[in-house]
Amino acid sequence: MMSEQLPLSGVRVADFTWVWAGPFCTLQLAHLGAEVIRIESESRLCVTRRIPPVADGQAGPNRCGYFNQYNQGKHSICLNLKKPEGLDLAKKLVAASDIVAENFAAGVMDRMGLGYDTLKALKPDIIMIALSGYGATGPESPYVSYGPAQVPMSGLASMTGFPDFPPMSVGFSYGDPNGGLHGAFAVLAALMHRARTGEGQYIDLSQWETSVALVGEGIMAQEMNGAAPQRMGNRDPYMAPHGLFRCQGEDRWVSIVVADDAEWQRLCAVMGKTDLAQDARFATLADRKDNEDALEAAVTDWTTTLSAEEVTRTLQAAGLAAFPAITNKELAEDEHLRSRPFFAQLEHPEVGVRQHAGVPWNFSDTPCHVRRPAPCLGQDTEDVLQRVLGYSADEVATLKDNEVLT
Amino acid sequence: MSEHPSPSPHPQAPGPLHGIRVVECGHMVAAAYAAKLMADLGAEVLKVEEPGGDRARQRGPYPENIPHPEKSGLFLYLNTNKRGVTLDLEAAKGRELFQQLVKDADVVVHNYHPTQLASLGLEYEALAQQNPTLVLTSISPFGQTGRHREYTAHDLTLWSAGGIVFLGGAGGRPDLPPLKAAGQQAGFQAGVNAGIASLGALYARLSTGRGQHIDISVQECLVAIMENNYIAWPYDQTTPSRLGFRLIPQDVLPCRDGYIYVLAVEEHQWQNAVELMGNPDWANTELFQDFLSRSVNWDALKALLEDWLQDKSVHEVYHGAQQRRVPFAPVSTMGDLLKSEHLNARGFFAEIGHPEAGTLRYPGAPFKFAASPWTLRRPAPCLGQHNEEVYCGQLGLAPEEVQSLQATQVI
Repeated sequence: MMSEQLPLSGVRVADFTWVWAGPFCTLQLAHLGAEVIRIESESRLCVTRRIPPVADGQAGPNRCGYFNQYNQGKHSICLNLKKPEGLDLAKKLVAASDIVAENFAAGVMDRMGLGYDTLKALKPDIIMIALSGYGATGPESPYVSYGPAQVPMSGLASMTGFPDFPPMSVGFSYGDPNGGLHGAFAVLAALMHRARTGEGQYIDLSQWETSVALVGEGIMAQEMNGAAPQRMGNRDPYMAPHGLFRCQGEDRWVSIVVADDAEWQRLCAVMGKTDLAQDARFATLADRKDNEDALEAAVTDWTTTLSAEEVTRTLQAAGLAAFPAITNKELAEDEHLRSRPFFAQLEHPEVGVRQHAGVPWNFSDTPCHVRRPAPCLGQDTEDVLQRVLGYSADEVATLKDNEVLT
Repeated sequence: MSEHPSPSPHPQAPGPLHGIRVVECGHMVAAAYAAKLMADLGAEVLKVEEPGGDRARQRGPYPENIPHPEKSGLFLYLNTNKRGVTLDLEAAKGRELFQQLVKDADVVVHNYHPTQLASLGLEYEALAQQNPTLVLTSISPFGQTGRHREYTAHDLTLWSAGGIVFLGGAGGRPDLPPLKAAGQQAGFQAGVNAGIASLGALYARLSTGRGQHIDISVQECLVAIMENNYIAWPYDQTTPSRLGFRLIPQDVLPCRDGYIYVLAVEEHQWQNAVELMGNPDWANTELFQDFLSRSVNWDALKALLEDWLQDKSVHEVYHGAQQRRVPFAPVSTMGDLLKSEHLNARGFFAEIGHPEAGTLRYPGAPFKFAASPWTLRRPAPCLGQHNEEVYCGQLGLAPEEVQSLQATQVI
């Protein structure tokens, strides 16, 4: 049987990551066709196997939406790394891999006996990526960090929020997926380097630094003028109206952006408000910025008479940018996304068919897609030991009896 | 170049993408960030701007807040390590020159709208005919197919369409709207996705020998990063929002000189935080005995924490907490970051001069490669800075031809 050709066909990843940043990095590699083997342990379950949402309110390590979303396409093996035989198996797996990924705090892999120098001796061209909160060097590198902390640490929170409020979070643990995506990009660059030179390498990724990369213009403002942009809610210095406007229904909102004066005239026409079109308070961008409270009130007068969907359809038909503040339910039911098709719906042995977010890139020649659902805990242990590491069924049974595969 | 010590043992080694040729076009953030990621790792990137320039040049920050197309902080940051030419893709001659530029390229990355591609000569079939090994990465708000493909968008409406805006904002304040993250976050997320997909396709090409077209929907890039908020619907039919309950207590709280982010995920972290606070009696009450009760009683807990924090500095609380393995974090200002002992010890900020904007420090390598380092080799290009170098030196046009293209505003 010919297996399908994918960008990373034949690339194997020994995946020591957990929680979110690391698994999100290796998810991208799995999407691209790599064989990603997560090394897990029954005694140290990944937190995403323990937290809500759980399928139909019934808990269990294989029933968590968080894990099952971000580990699609991967394999799972259980190794007891506290046993010498377990550690030995981990090293053998690394020797049979192209990439090692981990996101423990700096120094943890070294203490486990799985530091880069050790692994490089086993596999000279290994590519190893460490995704830590602070990076592997620097005075704060031993500090503890979680993804949500990256929003305040990076300065994104200091610029996010309403003017008279304290800095605000962005509603989710943004630092994690962002670190994971930058990590996947770095791994791919290292693979290109290896293809050209034969050389592997160690990549030290700091989630703090990958988060600061998202606020580059803030850093530049500070450098240029000694001050960063102020918190301005949903407003924008260069466009108005620019915000979320209340619509009919409970907690229903639509986002609207008017990019220039001509678009403002179009919006007035669509709203049927000729008086606003001629209102000197709103004629130019500068006028609209000066009178933005009144401007937003005038737009809200119109949006509150309609549903967010009607506002969106009407404005888009006039070439104006608008979209509802969509909920997860609406995303799940969105006909556009379903038609792309964006969602991955594979049969999972414990939770059945669920509509997971799929691959956000469509490749024309080597179509990437989710090839298997997220693994149940340890479901691939025997397969990987036999197929990849060459152990016999009897040897695997002995290892199991000796509690190495837990 | 930066005076900070580089942690790389091979500061002069070529980057991991050495030898890869990228052409970038479009506006603002998504395509520019994808190409910046590649340029900063050694790819040779040519930025093709319309004669009027990338719209990012029209956005600040600017020195002394005086608009100037060569001094936009956003543009300067997003376009390091690139060369730049101008070209009108809507003119027939412009499209012809673009075809020549693309003939030897490995990647073209752009974020022009799907409805514009035919008139700009950016359709895959046309480009692939000339260069079958080309990877064409097309970033668009909602993708190249589907009923919303023609919808127009900006960063705010995309953050909204990706489902993320519904999560942000002030808890307990249904009167206030959902809140977007500051800056151009949809653009950055699309950019890093486009970088990943482009390199994936380049790696595929090593074995297939073929290029391909990649269609990237910004909306999908955002739905893919919503933590457990999207998947809550298919798993337990709940809809998280800014107004909902938080499982783990966390918040931004004021200190005497700034804000601290307070978080304790594990029980021992909370116990260590209690010790840091000097073991107050209230901490032993049932109200706060585990993370669930601390979440339920967060308003009461928050008031007590604020009381403790009011005369403390961010610095003392942050380092005091971290020395006890408690994951508190500073709410950094941009100034704090530039002064950070940790970031500077890592040599994070990179300094370079620009002919118009002067010498400035930029955010540097977000990842450190041991063998093939990130480098800052040149500042962002001035508008059309490399026209002569590229059109004469690379495509072999005579200087008079370039002048006539300039006169007819093709470049």
